[in-house]
Amino acid sequence: MAFVKKEITPSRPAPLSERSVIGWMHKHLFSSFYNSILTIVTLYIIYITTKGLWVWGIADAVWIAESRRECFDISIDGACWAGVIAWMDNIFYGRYPKDELWRVNVGILLLIVWMLPLWLPRVKGKIFIAITLISFYPFLANYIFLGGESSFFSQFMVSAAIVSFVVIMLNAIIGVIQGQSISTFIATRLGSSLKSEKSQRNLNLALLIIAFIIAFLWQQSWVLGEVPWTKWGGLFLTLVISGIGIATALPGGIILALGRRSKLPVIKVLSTTFIEVFRSVPLITVLFMATTMFPLFLPEGFVLNKLAQVIIAVCLFNAAYMAETVRGGLQTIPKGQYEGAHTIGLGYWGTMGLIVMPQALKNMIPNIVGNFISILKGTTLVSIIGLFDILGMLSSVSRDLSWIGLHKEPLLFGAMIFFILCALMSKYSRHLESKLSTNRKT
Amino acid sequence: MNSNTPMDNNAAEEKLVSAASSEVIINIEKVNKWYDDFHVLKDIDLVVKKGERIVVCGPSGSGKSTLIRCINNLEEHQEGSIVVDGITLNKNLKNIDHIRTEVGMVFQNFNLFPHLSILDNLMLGPIWVRKMPKAEARATALEYLERVKIPEQADKFPGQLSGGQQQRVAIARSLCMNPKIMLFDEPTSALDPEMIKEVLDVMVELAETGMTMIVVTHEMNFAKTIADRVIFMDEGDIVEENEPLQFFNNPQHDRTKLFLSQIL
Repeated sequence: MAFVKKEITPSRPAPLSERSVIGWMHKHLFSSFYNSILTIVTLYIIYITTKGLWVWGIADAVWIAESRRECFDISIDGACWAGVIAWMDNIFYGRYPKDELWRVNVGILLLIVWMLPLWLPRVKGKIFIAITLISFYPFLANYIFLGGESSFFSQFMVSAAIVSFVVIMLNAIIGVIQGQSISTFIATRLGSSLKSEKSQRNLNLALLIIAFIIAFLWQQSWVLGEVPWTKWGGLFLTLVISGIGIATALPGGIILALGRRSKLPVIKVLSTTFIEVFRSVPLITVLFMATTMFPLFLPEGFVLNKLAQVIIAVCLFNAAYMAETVRGGLQTIPKGQYEGAHTIGLGYWGTMGLIVMPQALKNMIPNIVGNFISILKGTTLVSIIGLFDILGMLSSVSRDLSWIGLHKEPLLFGAMIFFILCALMSKYSRHLESKLSTNRKT
Repeated sequence: MNSNTPMDNNAAEEKLVSAASSEVIINIEKVNKWYDDFHVLKDIDLVVKKGERIVVCGPSGSGKSTLIRCINNLEEHQEGSIVVDGITLNKNLKNIDHIRTEVGMVFQNFNLFPHLSILDNLMLGPIWVRKMPKAEARATALEYLERVKIPEQADKFPGQLSGGQQQRVAIARSLCMNPKIMLFDEPTSALDPEMIKEVLDVMVELAETGMTMIVVTHEMNFAKTIADRVIFMDEGDIVEENEPLQFFNNPQHDRTKLFLSQIL
């Protein structure tokens, strides 16, 4: 007897136990007698610990007081947050002068606003944003944070930064509203008077030059007092060091990783030695070496301040670590991808830049962001060699006469700040991963 | 299943007219290659005319893939000379890059770029290597997608396509570079039986346009349909070389007879 199916069985929704909350709880929390006991015991442990934390940290805590003694008078076994609040400015900005704190805020705000258009889908010219950010923002930040006399070159770069910032903002606004780039916007506004592409380019160039001259003249009237780096500190200093470390680690790591895989023996040996040396030494040793030994390598009369030495050391160290992460990513790319790229005529840089690196970096996002997180946390080591970063500031609270012996609260506060920063990074990395994921099946 | 497949056809009836001209496009002379101590290619001589369609077959490990991979320098040969379209393959990277833009290649595992959409896969070469304007590259890409009959997949990613579709995209990607020669390295070996036909159909159509093709394959009916010449390789040597009818009906060498008796 032959069997012929008349029609294909239609799909139906999954059973309720897969979809409802009760079904989920039944399956995951109370699937058997022992699992139910485990769930209840765990909930009880969570309850005890959070209750203790709640009573100490919030219910019995002291928020307003003049000194630690006063805290004790009000509540003997509650947290003394008043000390942290009194030191808040120092924890965030170190000993940066109180009247100049706006400079730090403005500098960081500018960075965030500059980067914002990168996440707006309708905005065009994202590569321009990234390039100007990398090449001009550091000079602007240097001018705002450090201030004082500046050379012609840095004035030039600051003006370039202002112009590109304004262009990027206008471009972003036009992009969000109109969905086109600033140059096409200008072209369409002027209508048919500008036919050729060349005259349009000339017009854009002229506008840029005029804007640049205005910015240059304008910034010459600025007077910002110098705030020497020795006054920098707190979270601000941590962000400066780790920010530069993060920004340089990836490009540095990519160059080192490519160097290590190079077919040219000299480059290969140099890269490998660099990576292995830096990876086999603890960061704190590198920091000590940097502050004591860099001066020996520098030409006579050339003095590099301690902060610069520390930043260079952090950059080199983290580039070496990142190099191995990137190399791991490169190894996940099958040989066929190189061959596919070669057969359409791409050379080494085309193959690496367009085919291999994008995939390798995408595969490595969790590890790369893990590196970023460890850079952020690792910079707290600079407090050991005498820079007052956030950790240095947090432990200084306990040495303040009014708050003497206050250890727990500042450190807990610091832990929360780090937790927030790191959680944001790892959350973003997961978002990025799912956004870039293209191979649902390979 | 449609019975009008190249495999089912009576080869003699459907045989394509040869497009071979007298102009030599690939000249391989006394090529030797070793993997460490293993001698993969032994004194290979091969002359390919423009428009000629050659099928290379042989047992695995016979060096057939290595031979065609030498033509665009995916593998380096150690002795002998390879001249492609008048350019000698040597250590000169410029020559290698130039030859690679003239020679398209299709792999067993497709080697599409999974991080790019189908359209971007096709546009990459023309834009970055041929320096073609974006709009033109896009038009070319869409035209070739049409030719391999999957224009509707343009915005998908390779991972979302079936094997047969991916291989057709790979063919289109090579064609977008407007190559003079197409190399096929076992293009249907990684495909499900249902999908082999759609790829072979595209290849037959390509052969009809007069493209110079060298195909490493075990699809013997395909060989009968399109080949001007069939080359049988074993142990790094070209053992027998003949036009398809003679090759299949009247093999000369014992090794060829054994091979054919095993696969037909």
